[in-house]
Amino acid sequence: MAAEEHSGGIAEHLQYWTYSFQQDIPVDERNPFMQIHVDTMLVTGFVACLILGFAFWFKSRIQAGVPTGVQNAVEALVGFVNDTVRDNFPVHNPIIAPLALTVFVFIFLCNFFDILPAYFLGHVAHALGAPAFRPVPTNDLNLPVAMALTVFAMVIYYELKLKPVHFMKDLLLQPFANLLLMSKNPVVKLLGVLLIPLNLVLKLIEEIAKPLSLSFRLFGNMFAGEVIFLLIASLLLVDNFADMASVGGAISEIMGLLVGLGWSFFHMFIGLLQAFIFMILTVVYLSIAHQPAEH
Amino acid sequence: MSIDLTLVGQFIVFVTMLLLLKKMLYVPLNDAMEARSKKIEEGLAAADAGLEAKAEAEAAVEAQLAEAKAKAQEIIAAAEKRAAEVKEESMVKARNEAEAIIDAGKEEIFAEANRARQSLREEVADIAILAAEKIVDAELDAKKHAKLIESVVEKGFNAA
Repeated sequence: MAAEEHSGGIAEHLQYWTYSFQQDIPVDERNPFMQIHVDTMLVTGFVACLILGFAFWFKSRIQAGVPTGVQNAVEALVGFVNDTVRDNFPVHNPIIAPLALTVFVFIFLCNFFDILPAYFLGHVAHALGAPAFRPVPTNDLNLPVAMALTVFAMVIYYELKLKPVHFMKDLLLQPFANLLLMSKNPVVKLLGVLLIPLNLVLKLIEEIAKPLSLSFRLFGNMFAGEVIFLLIASLLLVDNFADMASVGGAISEIMGLLVGLGWSFFHMFIGLLQAFIFMILTVVYLSIAHQPAEH
Repeated sequence: MSIDLTLVGQFIVFVTMLLLLKKMLYVPLNDAMEARSKKIEEGLAAADAGLEAKAEAEAAVEAQLAEAKAKAQEIIAAAEKRAAEVKEESMVKARNEAEAIIDAGKEEIFAEANRARQSLREEVADIAILAAEKIVDAELDAKKHAKLIESVVEKGFNAA
Protein backbone atom coordinates (compact mmCIF):
# COMPACT_ATOMS: atom_id res chain seq x y z
CA MET A 1 0.00 0.00 0.00
CA ALA A 2 2.90 2.27 0.87
CA ALA A 3 4.47 1.43 -2.45
CA GLU A 4 1.25 2.35 -4.20
CA GLU A 5 1.22 5.67 -2.35
CA HIS A 6 4.81 6.29 -3.32
CA SER A 7 4.24 5.39 -6.93
CA GLY A 8 1.19 7.63 -6.90
CA GLY A 9 3.34 10.43 -5.42
CA ILE A 10 6.06 9.94 -8.00
CA ALA A 11 3.55 9.90 -10.85
CA GLU A 12 2.01 13.07 -9.46
CA HIS A 13 5.41 14.79 -9.39
CA LEU A 14 6.08 13.72 -12.95
CA GLN A 15 3.12 15.72 -14.18
CA TYR A 16 3.69 18.92 -16.14
CA TRP A 17 2.01 22.23 -15.59
CA THR A 18 0.10 22.26 -18.86
CA TYR A 19 -2.06 24.85 -20.54
CA SER A 20 -4.40 23.80 -23.33
CA PHE A 21 -5.25 26.10 -26.21
CA GLN A 22 -8.60 24.30 -26.50
CA GLN A 23 -10.13 25.39 -23.24
CA ASP A 24 -13.64 25.40 -24.73
CA ILE A 25 -13.43 21.70 -25.70
CA PRO A 26 -13.96 18.93 -23.11
CA VAL A 27 -10.69 17.50 -21.77
CA ASP A 28 -11.18 14.07 -23.30
CA GLU A 29 -11.73 15.52 -26.78
CA ARG A 30 -8.81 17.92 -26.78
CA ASN A 31 -5.95 17.50 -29.23
CA PRO A 32 -2.94 16.59 -27.03
CA PHE A 33 -0.66 18.57 -29.34
CA MET A 34 -2.54 21.79 -28.72
CA GLN A 35 -1.17 22.31 -25.24
CA ILE A 36 1.97 23.79 -23.79
CA HIS A 37 4.09 22.88 -20.77
CA VAL A 38 4.17 26.12 -18.86
CA ASP A 39 6.87 24.94 -16.42
CA THR A 40 9.22 23.92 -19.24
CA MET A 41 8.64 27.19 -21.05
CA LEU A 42 9.17 29.21 -17.86
CA VAL A 43 12.41 27.46 -16.92
CA THR A 44 13.87 27.52 -20.44
CA GLY A 45 12.80 31.14 -20.79
CA PHE A 46 14.49 31.89 -17.47
CA VAL A 47 17.66 30.06 -18.52
CA ALA A 48 17.67 31.80 -21.92
CA CYS A 49 17.20 35.21 -20.24
CA LEU A 50 19.98 34.33 -17.78
CA ILE A 51 22.39 33.41 -20.59
CA LEU A 52 21.47 36.35 -22.80
CA GLY A 53 21.52 38.75 -19.84
CA PHE A 54 24.98 37.52 -18.97
CA ALA A 55 26.04 37.86 -22.62
CA PHE A 56 24.69 41.43 -22.72
CA TRP A 57 26.49 42.32 -19.47
CA PHE A 58 29.66 40.57 -20.57
CA LYS A 59 29.80 42.07 -24.07
CA SER A 60 30.73 45.55 -22.82
CA ARG A 61 33.46 44.11 -20.59
CA ILE A 62 35.30 42.11 -23.20
CA GLN A 63 38.86 43.25 -23.54
CA ALA A 64 41.39 42.21 -26.14
CA GLY A 65 44.24 42.69 -23.66
CA VAL A 66 45.01 40.43 -20.72
CA PRO A 67 41.72 38.75 -19.67
CA THR A 68 40.67 38.91 -16.04
CA GLY A 69 38.00 37.41 -13.80
CA VAL A 70 34.89 36.20 -15.60
CA GLN A 71 36.47 36.64 -19.03
CA ASN A 72 39.04 33.99 -18.14
CA ALA A 73 36.31 31.45 -17.41
CA VAL A 74 34.25 32.34 -20.50
CA GLU A 75 37.34 32.25 -22.71
CA ALA A 76 38.26 28.84 -21.30
CA LEU A 77 34.77 27.58 -22.21
CA VAL A 78 34.76 29.17 -25.67
CA GLY A 79 38.31 27.93 -26.27
CA PHE A 80 37.25 24.40 -25.29
CA VAL A 81 34.28 24.53 -27.69
CA ASN A 82 36.45 26.00 -30.46
CA ASP A 83 39.04 23.25 -30.00
CA THR A 84 36.35 20.55 -30.04
CA VAL A 85 34.87 21.95 -33.25
CA ARG A 86 38.30 22.42 -34.85
CA ASP A 87 39.27 18.82 -34.05
CA ASN A 88 36.10 17.38 -35.59
CA PHE A 89 35.27 19.72 -38.43
CA PRO A 90 36.88 19.49 -41.87
CA VAL A 91 36.04 23.04 -42.99
CA HIS A 92 35.31 26.40 -41.39
CA ASN A 93 31.65 27.18 -40.84
CA PRO A 94 30.96 30.25 -38.67
CA ILE A 95 27.72 28.88 -37.19
CA ILE A 96 29.02 25.55 -35.91
CA ALA A 97 31.05 26.74 -32.90
CA PRO A 98 28.30 29.13 -31.66
CA LEU A 99 25.79 26.29 -32.10
CA ALA A 100 27.99 23.92 -30.10
CA LEU A 101 28.49 26.56 -27.41
CA THR A 102 24.76 27.27 -27.18
CA VAL A 103 23.91 23.56 -27.01
CA PHE A 104 26.47 22.90 -24.29
CA VAL A 105 25.67 25.90 -22.11
CA PHE A 106 21.91 25.64 -22.52
CA ILE A 107 21.71 21.93 -21.76
CA PHE A 108 24.15 22.17 -18.87
CA LEU A 109 22.24 25.01 -17.21
CA CYS A 110 18.91 23.25 -17.77
CA ASN A 111 20.35 20.07 -16.24
CA PHE A 112 21.71 22.14 -13.37
CA PHE A 113 18.17 22.61 -12.05
CA ASP A 114 18.32 18.97 -11.07
CA ILE A 115 20.36 20.01 -8.05
CA LEU A 116 17.20 21.41 -6.46
CA PRO A 117 15.48 18.95 -4.09
CA ALA A 118 13.15 16.67 -6.02
CA TYR A 119 9.85 17.82 -4.57
CA PHE A 120 10.84 21.37 -3.70
CA LEU A 121 9.61 23.34 -6.72
CA GLY A 122 6.53 21.13 -6.96
CA HIS A 123 5.55 22.09 -3.42
CA VAL A 124 6.31 25.77 -4.10
CA ALA A 125 4.22 25.64 -7.26
CA HIS A 126 1.36 23.97 -5.38
CA ALA A 127 1.55 26.66 -2.72
CA LEU A 128 1.31 29.32 -5.42
CA GLY A 129 -1.68 27.64 -7.00
CA ALA A 130 0.01 25.94 -9.95
CA PRO A 131 -1.11 22.36 -10.57
CA ALA A 132 2.45 21.00 -10.98
CA PHE A 133 6.01 22.07 -11.70
CA ARG A 134 8.87 20.14 -13.31
CA PRO A 135 12.07 22.13 -12.74
CA VAL A 136 14.35 20.33 -15.21
CA PRO A 137 13.35 21.18 -18.80
CA THR A 138 15.57 18.48 -20.30
CA ASN A 139 13.23 15.97 -18.64
CA ASP A 140 10.59 17.22 -21.01
CA LEU A 141 10.96 15.43 -24.34
CA ASN A 142 9.96 18.60 -26.18
CA LEU A 143 13.23 20.38 -25.45
CA PRO A 144 15.65 17.61 -26.53
CA VAL A 145 13.50 16.91 -29.60
CA ALA A 146 13.38 20.62 -30.55
CA MET A 147 17.17 20.87 -30.30
CA ALA A 148 17.73 17.55 -32.09
CA LEU A 149 15.34 18.56 -34.89
CA THR A 150 17.20 21.85 -35.28
CA VAL A 151 20.45 19.92 -35.67
CA PHE A 152 18.77 17.42 -38.01
CA ALA A 153 17.38 20.26 -40.16
CA MET A 154 20.86 21.78 -40.37
CA VAL A 155 22.35 18.41 -41.33
CA ILE A 156 19.81 17.95 -44.15
CA TYR A 157 20.32 21.57 -45.26
CA TYR A 158 24.10 21.19 -45.52
CA GLU A 159 23.82 17.76 -47.17
CA LEU A 160 21.55 19.24 -49.85
CA LYS A 161 23.57 22.43 -50.18
CA LEU A 162 27.08 20.96 -50.30
CA LYS A 163 26.58 17.62 -52.08
CA PRO A 164 22.99 17.27 -53.32
CA VAL A 165 23.69 14.59 -55.93
CA HIS A 166 25.74 12.49 -53.54
CA PHE A 167 23.09 12.83 -50.85
CA MET A 168 20.26 11.79 -53.15
CA LYS A 169 22.30 8.87 -54.49
CA ASP A 170 23.09 7.89 -50.93
CA LEU A 171 19.41 8.11 -50.05
CA LEU A 172 18.20 6.04 -52.97
CA LEU A 173 21.02 3.67 -53.87
CA GLN A 174 22.67 2.71 -50.59
CA PRO A 175 23.31 0.06 -49.37
CA PHE A 176 21.98 -2.42 -51.99
CA ALA A 177 21.15 -0.80 -55.29
CA ASN A 178 24.45 0.81 -56.12
CA LEU A 179 26.35 -2.43 -56.75
CA LEU A 180 23.43 -4.02 -58.55
CA LEU A 181 22.96 -1.05 -60.86
CA MET A 182 26.63 -1.19 -61.81
CA SER A 183 26.14 -4.74 -63.12
CA LYS A 184 25.91 -5.32 -66.88
CA ASN A 185 23.30 -8.00 -66.41
CA PRO A 186 19.87 -6.38 -67.08
CA VAL A 187 18.09 -8.66 -64.59
CA VAL A 188 20.48 -7.66 -61.80
CA LYS A 189 20.07 -4.05 -62.86
CA LEU A 190 16.27 -4.36 -62.65
CA LEU A 191 16.66 -5.89 -59.20
CA GLY A 192 18.73 -2.85 -58.25
CA VAL A 193 15.96 -0.52 -59.43
CA LEU A 194 13.38 -2.52 -57.49
CA LEU A 195 15.49 -2.20 -54.34
CA ILE A 196 15.50 1.60 -54.45
CA PRO A 197 12.38 1.94 -52.22
CA LEU A 198 13.93 -0.43 -49.67
CA ASN A 199 17.12 1.62 -49.71
CA LEU A 200 15.08 4.77 -49.21
CA VAL A 201 13.29 3.28 -46.22
CA LEU A 202 16.55 2.03 -44.65
CA LYS A 203 18.31 5.32 -45.24
CA LEU A 204 15.41 7.32 -43.84
CA ILE A 205 15.44 5.14 -40.74
CA GLU A 206 19.18 5.72 -40.44
CA GLU A 207 18.79 9.47 -40.77
CA ILE A 208 15.80 9.74 -38.45
CA ALA A 209 17.61 7.61 -35.87
CA LYS A 210 20.14 10.42 -35.46
CA PRO A 211 17.81 13.05 -33.95
CA LEU A 212 15.87 10.34 -32.15
CA SER A 213 18.95 8.94 -30.43
CA LEU A 214 20.24 12.45 -29.77
CA SER A 215 17.06 13.58 -28.07
CA PHE A 216 16.12 10.34 -26.28
CA ARG A 217 19.61 9.90 -24.85
CA LEU A 218 19.43 13.27 -23.11
CA PHE A 219 15.78 12.89 -22.15
CA GLY A 220 16.22 9.31 -20.88
CA ASN A 221 19.25 10.11 -18.74
CA MET A 222 17.73 13.17 -17.15
CA PHE A 223 14.31 11.62 -16.71
CA ALA A 224 15.79 8.50 -15.11
CA GLY A 225 17.85 10.71 -12.83
CA GLU A 226 14.78 12.57 -11.66
CA VAL A 227 12.84 9.35 -11.11
CA ILE A 228 15.68 8.00 -8.97
CA PHE A 229 15.66 11.24 -6.97
CA LEU A 230 11.95 10.83 -6.42
CA LEU A 231 12.43 7.17 -5.48
CA ILE A 232 15.14 8.04 -2.96
CA ALA A 233 12.96 10.75 -1.51
CA SER A 234 9.87 8.54 -1.45
CA LEU A 235 11.54 5.49 0.04
CA LEU A 236 14.00 7.00 2.51
CA LEU A 237 12.70 10.39 3.58
CA VAL A 238 9.95 10.34 6.21
CA ASP A 239 6.73 12.24 5.75
CA ASN A 240 6.13 13.78 9.16
CA PHE A 241 7.87 14.92 12.31
CA ALA A 242 6.48 12.04 14.40
CA ASP A 243 8.25 9.49 12.20
CA MET A 244 11.41 11.59 12.20
CA ALA A 245 11.52 11.49 15.99
CA SER A 246 11.76 7.67 16.03
CA VAL A 247 15.17 5.94 15.72
CA GLY A 248 14.25 4.19 12.49
CA GLY A 249 12.80 7.36 11.06
CA ALA A 250 15.91 9.37 11.94
CA ILE A 251 18.24 6.74 10.44
CA SER A 252 16.09 6.58 7.31
CA GLU A 253 16.07 10.38 7.04
CA ILE A 254 19.86 10.61 7.40
CA MET A 255 20.37 7.81 4.89
CA GLY A 256 17.94 9.47 2.53
CA LEU A 257 19.80 12.77 2.76
CA LEU A 258 23.19 11.11 2.26
CA VAL A 259 22.06 8.97 -0.67
CA GLY A 260 20.19 11.91 -2.16
CA LEU A 261 23.25 14.14 -1.83
CA GLY A 262 25.48 11.46 -3.39
CA TRP A 263 23.08 10.93 -6.26
CA SER A 264 22.78 14.68 -6.65
CA PHE A 265 26.52 15.05 -7.21
CA PHE A 266 26.59 12.06 -9.51
CA HIS A 267 23.64 13.41 -11.44
CA MET A 268 25.34 16.78 -11.83
CA PHE A 269 28.20 14.93 -13.47
CA ILE A 270 25.68 13.08 -15.66
CA GLY A 271 24.15 16.44 -16.61
CA LEU A 272 27.54 17.81 -17.60
CA LEU A 273 28.35 14.63 -19.51
CA GLN A 274 25.03 14.69 -21.37
CA ALA A 275 25.55 18.33 -22.34
CA PHE A 276 28.98 17.42 -23.69
CA ILE A 277 27.66 14.34 -25.53
CA PHE A 278 24.84 16.34 -27.15
CA MET A 279 27.35 19.01 -28.19
CA ILE A 280 29.93 16.58 -29.60
CA LEU A 281 27.28 14.57 -31.50
CA THR A 282 25.90 17.80 -32.95
CA VAL A 283 29.35 18.68 -34.21
CA VAL A 284 29.96 15.15 -35.52
CA TYR A 285 26.64 14.95 -37.42
CA LEU A 286 27.26 18.35 -39.00
CA SER A 287 30.85 17.38 -39.69
CA ILE A 288 29.65 14.28 -41.61
CA ALA A 289 27.35 16.54 -43.62
CA HIS A 290 30.34 18.73 -44.49
CA GLN A 291 32.61 15.83 -45.49
CA PRO A 292 33.47 15.99 -49.19
CA ALA A 293 31.64 13.42 -51.32
CA GLU A 294 33.60 10.27 -52.18
CA HIS A 295 33.69 9.39 -55.85
CA MET B 1 5.80 12.68 -21.86
CA SER B 2 4.13 14.06 -24.93
CA ILE B 3 5.10 16.11 -27.90
CA ASP B 4 2.99 19.23 -28.11
CA LEU B 5 3.25 22.94 -28.82
CA THR B 6 6.04 23.14 -26.25
CA LEU B 7 8.20 21.74 -29.04
CA VAL B 8 7.54 24.83 -31.16
CA GLY B 9 8.16 27.06 -28.16
CA GLN B 10 11.43 25.29 -27.37
CA PHE B 11 12.47 25.52 -30.99
CA ILE B 12 11.87 29.30 -30.94
CA VAL B 13 13.72 29.69 -27.62
CA PHE B 14 16.67 27.63 -28.81
CA VAL B 15 17.07 29.29 -32.23
CA THR B 16 16.62 32.78 -30.78
CA MET B 17 19.19 32.04 -28.12
CA LEU B 18 21.58 30.61 -30.69
CA LEU B 19 21.40 33.70 -32.91
CA LEU B 20 21.59 36.20 -30.04
CA LEU B 21 24.35 34.35 -28.22
CA LYS B 22 26.37 34.22 -31.43
CA LYS B 23 25.95 37.94 -31.98
CA MET B 24 26.31 39.10 -28.38
CA LEU B 25 28.86 36.74 -26.92
CA TYR B 26 30.59 34.42 -29.32
CA VAL B 27 31.57 36.79 -32.14
CA PRO B 28 32.84 39.70 -29.94
CA LEU B 29 34.70 37.34 -27.62
CA ASN B 30 36.19 35.39 -30.49
CA ASP B 31 37.25 38.63 -32.19
CA ALA B 32 38.93 39.74 -28.97
CA MET B 33 40.66 36.37 -28.60
CA GLU B 34 41.81 36.45 -32.21
CA ALA B 35 43.03 40.04 -31.85
CA ARG B 36 45.00 39.00 -28.78
CA SER B 37 46.42 35.94 -30.52
CA LYS B 38 47.41 38.14 -33.46
CA LYS B 39 49.00 40.66 -31.11
CA ILE B 40 50.91 37.91 -29.31
CA GLU B 41 52.02 36.45 -32.65
CA GLU B 42 53.15 39.89 -33.79
CA GLY B 43 54.93 40.42 -30.48
CA LEU B 44 56.70 37.09 -30.78
CA ALA B 45 57.58 37.83 -34.40
CA ALA B 46 58.89 41.26 -33.37
CA ALA B 47 60.90 39.65 -30.57
CA ASP B 48 62.33 37.14 -33.04
CA ALA B 49 63.07 39.95 -35.50
CA GLY B 50 64.71 41.90 -32.66
CA LEU B 51 66.89 38.94 -31.74
CA GLU B 52 67.75 38.45 -35.39
CA ALA B 53 68.57 42.15 -35.77
CA LYS B 54 70.68 42.00 -32.60
CA ALA B 55 72.58 39.00 -33.94
CA GLU B 56 73.03 40.77 -37.27
CA ALA B 57 74.20 43.93 -35.51
CA GLU B 58 76.65 41.92 -33.41
CA ALA B 59 77.95 40.22 -36.54
CA ALA B 60 78.24 43.61 -38.25
CA VAL B 61 80.10 45.01 -35.24
CA GLU B 62 82.41 41.99 -35.27
CA ALA B 63 83.04 42.46 -38.98
CA GLN B 64 83.63 46.18 -38.56
CA LEU B 65 85.98 45.54 -35.67
CA ALA B 66 87.92 43.00 -37.72
CA GLU B 67 88.00 45.43 -40.65
CA ALA B 68 89.15 48.24 -38.38
CA LYS B 69 91.83 46.00 -36.90
CA ALA B 70 93.02 45.03 -40.37
CA LYS B 71 92.97 48.66 -41.44
CA ALA B 72 94.89 49.66 -38.32
CA GLN B 73 97.46 46.96 -39.06
CA GLU B 74 97.73 48.26 -42.61
CA ILE B 75 98.15 51.82 -41.37
CA ILE B 76 100.79 50.73 -38.84
CA ALA B 77 102.62 48.75 -41.50
CA ALA B 78 102.40 51.68 -43.91
CA ALA B 79 103.61 54.06 -41.20
CA GLU B 80 106.48 51.77 -40.33
CA LYS B 81 107.35 51.50 -43.98
CA ARG B 82 107.10 55.26 -44.39
CA ALA B 83 109.23 55.77 -41.29
CA ALA B 84 111.86 53.46 -42.69
CA GLU B 85 111.71 55.32 -45.98
CA VAL B 86 111.97 58.68 -44.24
CA LYS B 87 114.86 57.35 -42.21
CA GLU B 88 116.56 56.07 -45.32
CA GLU B 89 115.88 59.32 -47.15
CA SER B 90 117.24 61.30 -44.21
CA MET B 91 120.35 59.17 -44.08
CA VAL B 92 120.89 59.53 -47.82
CA LYS B 93 120.28 63.26 -47.61
CA ALA B 94 122.60 63.62 -44.64
CA ARG B 95 125.22 61.57 -46.41
CA ASN B 96 124.89 63.70 -49.53
CA GLU B 97 125.01 66.89 -47.50
CA ALA B 98 128.05 65.63 -45.68
CA GLU B 99 129.70 64.74 -48.95
CA ALA B 100 128.76 68.14 -50.33
CA ILE B 101 130.20 69.84 -47.25
CA ILE B 102 133.35 67.76 -47.59
CA ASP B 103 133.57 68.57 -51.28
CA ALA B 104 133.03 72.25 -50.58
CA GLY B 105 135.67 72.09 -47.87
CA LYS B 106 138.04 70.37 -50.19
CA GLU B 107 137.38 72.93 -52.86
CA GLU B 108 137.86 75.74 -50.38
CA ILE B 109 141.06 74.17 -49.14
CA PHE B 110 142.19 73.73 -52.70
CA ALA B 111 141.31 77.37 -53.50
CA GLU B 112 142.94 78.57 -50.32
CA ALA B 113 146.03 76.57 -51.17
CA ASN B 114 146.01 78.02 -54.64
CA ARG B 115 145.60 81.51 -53.23
CA ALA B 116 148.39 80.88 -50.75
CA ARG B 117 150.52 79.44 -53.47
CA GLN B 118 149.83 82.46 -55.66
CA SER B 119 150.61 84.81 -52.82
CA LEU B 120 153.71 82.92 -52.02
CA ARG B 121 154.64 82.91 -55.63
CA GLU B 122 154.26 86.68 -55.79
CA GLU B 123 156.22 87.14 -52.60
CA VAL B 124 158.89 84.78 -53.84
CA ALA B 125 158.95 86.71 -57.09
CA ASP B 126 159.39 89.95 -55.23
CA ILE B 127 162.05 88.43 -53.07
CA ALA B 128 163.71 86.96 -56.12
CA ILE B 129 163.69 90.33 -57.83
CA LEU B 130 165.13 91.95 -54.78
CA ALA B 131 167.67 89.23 -54.53
CA ALA B 132 168.50 89.46 -58.18
CA GLU B 133 168.83 93.24 -57.93
CA LYS B 134 171.22 92.81 -55.15
CA ILE B 135 173.10 90.12 -57.01
CA VAL B 136 173.36 91.86 -60.29
CA ASP B 137 173.36 95.27 -58.79
CA ALA B 138 171.16 96.33 -61.46
CA GLU B 139 167.65 97.43 -60.99
CA LEU B 140 165.19 95.33 -62.78
CA ASP B 141 162.01 96.74 -64.10
CA ALA B 142 159.20 94.57 -62.58
CA LYS B 143 156.77 95.10 -65.41
CA LYS B 144 159.39 94.68 -68.04
CA HIS B 145 160.88 91.50 -66.68
CA ALA B 146 157.72 89.92 -65.27
CA LYS B 147 157.77 87.04 -67.67
CA LEU B 148 161.26 86.22 -66.81
CA ILE B 149 160.59 86.41 -63.13
CA GLU B 150 157.54 84.13 -63.36
CA SER B 151 159.47 81.53 -65.22
CA VAL B 152 162.17 81.69 -62.57
CA VAL B 153 159.62 81.36 -59.81
CA GLU B 154 157.88 78.51 -61.62
CA LYS B 155 161.05 76.69 -61.88
CA GLY B 156 161.77 77.36 -58.26
CA PHE B 157 158.41 75.97 -57.24
CA ASN B 158 158.68 73.00 -59.41
CA ALA B 159 162.06 72.41 -57.95
CA ALA B 160 160.66 72.84 -54.42
